[in-house]
Amino acid sequence: MKQKIKVLGLCSALAVSSVQAEIEFNGFANIVAGTTTSSDESLYGFDDKFDFKNGSLFALQATSDLGDGFGVTAQIIARGENEWSPEFEWAYVSYNATDELRFLVGRQRVPFYMYSDFLDVSYAYPWITPPEGVYSVPFDTFDGLGAIYSTSIGEFDTTVQFIYGGNSDDLVALDNAPADFEDLMGLSITINREWLTLRAGYIQTNMNIITDSGPLYAPWAASGFVDVANNFVIEDDTGDFIELGFQVDYENILLIGEYTSLTLDGTPIADADSYYLMAGYRLDNILVHITYGVDDDAKDSITGGVPSGVSPQLDGLIAVTNGFTNSLTQEQSYYTMGLRWDFHDSTALKFEYTSYSNDLDSTKDAGLFRTAIVTVF
Amino acid sequence: MKFIISILLLTSLAISHTCYADVSIVVNTANGGAISDTEISRLFLGKLKKFSDGESAIPINSKAGTAARVVFEEKVLNKSSSQIKAYWSKRVFSGKGNPPTEVDNDAAVLSFVAENTGAIGYVDAASVDGTVKVVKTF
Repeated sequence: MKQKIKVLGLCSALAVSSVQAEIEFNGFANIVAGTTTSSDESLYGFDDKFDFKNGSLFALQATSDLGDGFGVTAQIIARGENEWSPEFEWAYVSYNATDELRFLVGRQRVPFYMYSDFLDVSYAYPWITPPEGVYSVPFDTFDGLGAIYSTSIGEFDTTVQFIYGGNSDDLVALDNAPADFEDLMGLSITINREWLTLRAGYIQTNMNIITDSGPLYAPWAASGFVDVANNFVIEDDTGDFIELGFQVDYENILLIGEYTSLTLDGTPIADADSYYLMAGYRLDNILVHITYGVDDDAKDSITGGVPSGVSPQLDGLIAVTNGFTNSLTQEQSYYTMGLRWDFHDSTALKFEYTSYSNDLDSTKDAGLFRTAIVTVF
Repeated sequence: MKFIISILLLTSLAISHTCYADVSIVVNTANGGAISDTEISRLFLGKLKKFSDGESAIPINSKAGTAARVVFEEKVLNKSSSQIKAYWSKRVFSGKGNPPTEVDNDAAVLSFVAENTGAIGYVDAASVDGTVKVVKTF
């Protein structure tokens, strides 16, 4: 119902402004089908039943130039995995203060990654989706203020983006746990010259996630180790995110790499270090590519300050807690081989095979075949 | 395998179909400044907004699929039309900018450039007339 009201609200907003200003519509769509290669495997939401819904999406963007440097933009995406329910991914008022300086106020993308700005526009990049291992922060948007400064020094184009805001959406990745990321702030710098692009980003936020604190909070609190117990309540904890990326697009050769590091202090969740490297070769309207990626999610023991051998109960609690935090760590790697065929003016066909291996639990190893038709209109 | 072969066949057909005519970059007759090849390409990619004399530039595109557009993108921008489409989709859907306005054909480009002092366009070299100034022919 809330969704319907939102959509109606947009429609009436559009109807009103259409009297005054011209509205431009653009859109994009990804139709993705995939299946794992053997019956007991699942990966990135796919299993061994050929599925067309997971990963598919339709998006519509409406933009209007209000004059005097002001503009308004809304982008709505309906995703198959969310039962095609439309969501606002972007909804902002922009103001171009000068040719170089632009402000955005409203709902926009957190500049976590090299492809954050057009994360869902599969037509804009080689893969069906950017490598899941690196692109793994459980939210993509924020509500707040963005400032983008773009300048050219000789043939070097530099873009600096600063953001401040928050996100209070429920976390879909955590069973819709109510969450509040406050004081979300960050900076990203992108430098481009002809075939070379370099990027760095830093984002910090204050995290509040309401989850069932589980059976571990109470016994630690009762044992007098409040600091250890507090790890099981995600309240006013700091999350830090660092990204480094590069892209070489030289004649027929394409090389892309990204490294990310996510640190979640004061929580039992492992710190994540991830990277991928991609090499591609373009043959007229066909691009073949291969990607290798690694995720290493580790955690310093949160029971490090607790003496052992004091009592069997405490030793047991330490063992259970370490077992739990270890279960949240990950060591995994993957290869993706893919082909993109630009068979039409604004539509491309993609094929990808991903071989995933989990170094801690080989029963989770999987092979995934995906294909997609992606378009912009 | 059969599929791959048919893709390769299609690709080679597509290549042999592209024929290269010469394309001329045209500006308004009042535009006196020199424009380098890099500047032309940066103007049409939205990375440069002004000419070297400070005048605001209005790049103008020929409709997608016209011979002039295909040759311009291949020779001047050094990209295929789908690469250019992907480039603009990144900018459009992140609110960073829109591609140059499109007009129907060479005649429409010439009249737009003749009427707007900041305009820059491209036409088949054979279509050029005295109403515009040719900066360079590729």
